[in-house]
Amino acid sequence: MLSTLILLSIGIPWFGAFLLWLAGDGKPRLQHSLAVMFALGGGAAALAMIPLASSEVALVIPVGAVFGDFTFIADGLGVFLAAVAAVIGSLAVIFSVDYMHGEHQLSRYYAFVLFFIGGMVGLVLTSNLLLMFFFWEITALCSYALISFHNDDPKAVAGGMKALVITQLGGIGLLLGALLLFAHTGNYDITALLANPGILPAGMLAFMAFGALAAAAAKSAQFPFQTWLPDAMEAPTPISALIHAATMVNAGVYLLARFYPAFKDVPYWPLAVMLVGVITALMAALMALSANDLKRVLAYSTVSQLGYMVYAVGAGGIFAAQFHLFSHAIFKALLFLSAGAVIHAVGTRDMREMGGLGRQMPLTRAVFVTGALALAGLPIFNGSWSKELVLEAGLKAAEAGGTLWMYILMVITAGLTALYTFRMVAMVFYGQPRTERHVHDAGAAMKVALVPLALATLVSWLAVGPFSRLLDEHTLPYHHLEAEPTLVWLKEVLAWPTLIVLAVVAAGILAWFGREKLAGITQFLRGLNWAASNSFGFEAVNRAVVAAVGWLAEKLRAFQTGQLNWNIFGLAAALVVVLAILLAGA
Amino acid sequence: MNSIEILPVVIAAVFCLLGIGIYALLVTRNLIKVVVALQIMVKGALLALVAAGRLAGNVDLGQSMALTVIVADTIVAVVGLALAVQIRRHFGTLDLKSIATLRK
Repeated sequence: MLSTLILLSIGIPWFGAFLLWLAGDGKPRLQHSLAVMFALGGGAAALAMIPLASSEVALVIPVGAVFGDFTFIADGLGVFLAAVAAVIGSLAVIFSVDYMHGEHQLSRYYAFVLFFIGGMVGLVLTSNLLLMFFFWEITALCSYALISFHNDDPKAVAGGMKALVITQLGGIGLLLGALLLFAHTGNYDITALLANPGILPAGMLAFMAFGALAAAAAKSAQFPFQTWLPDAMEAPTPISALIHAATMVNAGVYLLARFYPAFKDVPYWPLAVMLVGVITALMAALMALSANDLKRVLAYSTVSQLGYMVYAVGAGGIFAAQFHLFSHAIFKALLFLSAGAVIHAVGTRDMREMGGLGRQMPLTRAVFVTGALALAGLPIFNGSWSKELVLEAGLKAAEAGGTLWMYILMVITAGLTALYTFRMVAMVFYGQPRTERHVHDAGAAMKVALVPLALATLVSWLAVGPFSRLLDEHTLPYHHLEAEPTLVWLKEVLAWPTLIVLAVVAAGILAWFGREKLAGITQFLRGLNWAASNSFGFEAVNRAVVAAVGWLAEKLRAFQTGQLNWNIFGLAAALVVVLAILLAGA
Repeated sequence: MNSIEILPVVIAAVFCLLGIGIYALLVTRNLIKVVVALQIMVKGALLALVAAGRLAGNVDLGQSMALTVIVADTIVAVVGLALAVQIRRHFGTLDLKSIATLRK
């Protein structure tokens, strides 16, 4: 039963991708309906897995000794993320029916979206590290292809390349970890490693742990790899919502959470993870404050919120990290999709040209504000509760390990989050219209996608109890998470540190409304603003790396003579070297 | 004459054929001669396969592998020569240096 569902939840979207590719262009109605049908099918299969979650191996595909058996385990963590990917994937596809209306090459678009959904589901369900790497790269490939969907736009192509190169760079860390595991144990079984990290020598385990951190940082756009995500905003907006807010960028957090039991005793690893999270969260929040492109603000806020999750994993709050991931996936998908409705209507992404849109787009304003309040961390919205859990995990770690300064920085970041969120909402929906434009509200398919997300943003925190049962020891035997009823969780959240956090959030909101009075301070902070809008020099570093690689490649051309004789010489020389090594080893 | 005594001769022949092939590939610039050099190298490899089959006590396997390689190798030669003909028509020469368009 479970094995069928696993195959279905991967297979339905992939089969749909194949069909759409076969269908070809020029039949938009067929393409839209096929895509929606297969996305919904995948979503249903993924949802049906949730009650069946268990830590047993559910599906084995033997593929021979070299790759190890391809095993799938539908445990709590896996089915939860699979459901997020498939359900938000379905909503993004439904939204696309309106958003991509009239676009050419819909087959390519939908085929990659569906291929991505299947790949993401596979990524979180497999327990074979090599197979996980394959799925990991499938998601990276789809992300690249969809960022560059408008391949006649140089900015989109450049953004796609940047995303691909940076995430591949991190992916090497994951691949090396997988090969190390194979070299020492003879298979790629993740469960065995989680059960007993001692099967690897300490040095190798540390190498694998930091390799996984690099892979996760690159995938989740964490420091120092955060630069690709803002440029990925050239993608069509449903893609930004699905891949670059709700699912793929969470894969890094998933990886860290999945391997936490194995890596938590590696010296300095939890500290490094927390540090990455804190630096990213703070820096991205500052950049969000200085950005003027609506989607870029959302991208920076995604980076910042992912920083919260990474920080929580480092602090040992696996449950908090996953719950924040859950909340964030919902409200950020909502924000991106409603931003997509705005952009679709206005035709620009620059917030300075918006303003006063609320009167013309009442529904979009309502759902956007819902998402924004969740992002800002106001109570009764899901983002607030999960952020509290994250900060509480941080406080516990601070009591245990003297990382109080990190906790304080994270609380300040929560205030900054509220500030930039209110700035964004005010610039888009309130005030006087800054351009004369006739604007229409979201279309029917858009509403179908937006309204469920808005409702979920309001109530998903009530699911904290069932959610903790899903992730308890029965489905994740090595993480030692405890299941509690919702009320216990809520009581735990409503402790005194929460009041401090809420006060900081309120201060952030007040700072926006009192910005005229604070003009003196903002003058003082101009230098910081300048640094933030230049992404703290990371773009310059990127450009320098690209230039250096280009220079080196130009120099290496000397070896590429294009002449057979030299190539044969190279082959023969390499053969001699290999033989010499073999002889020396024998 | 039994197999122990013939083996060094066979191995020497294998190395000679491979060496001649590699040397020819290193120095020649004529496409036809390149195909000939490849053929010489493959003949060395065939001999090695048969000898290895004999050594491993699995003569049938070695010989059937060799036969398979002969078939594949013939196709390589045919395609290579056909390419040579087309290149001669297109470029008017078989000189490798003047038809190396990969680095331009």
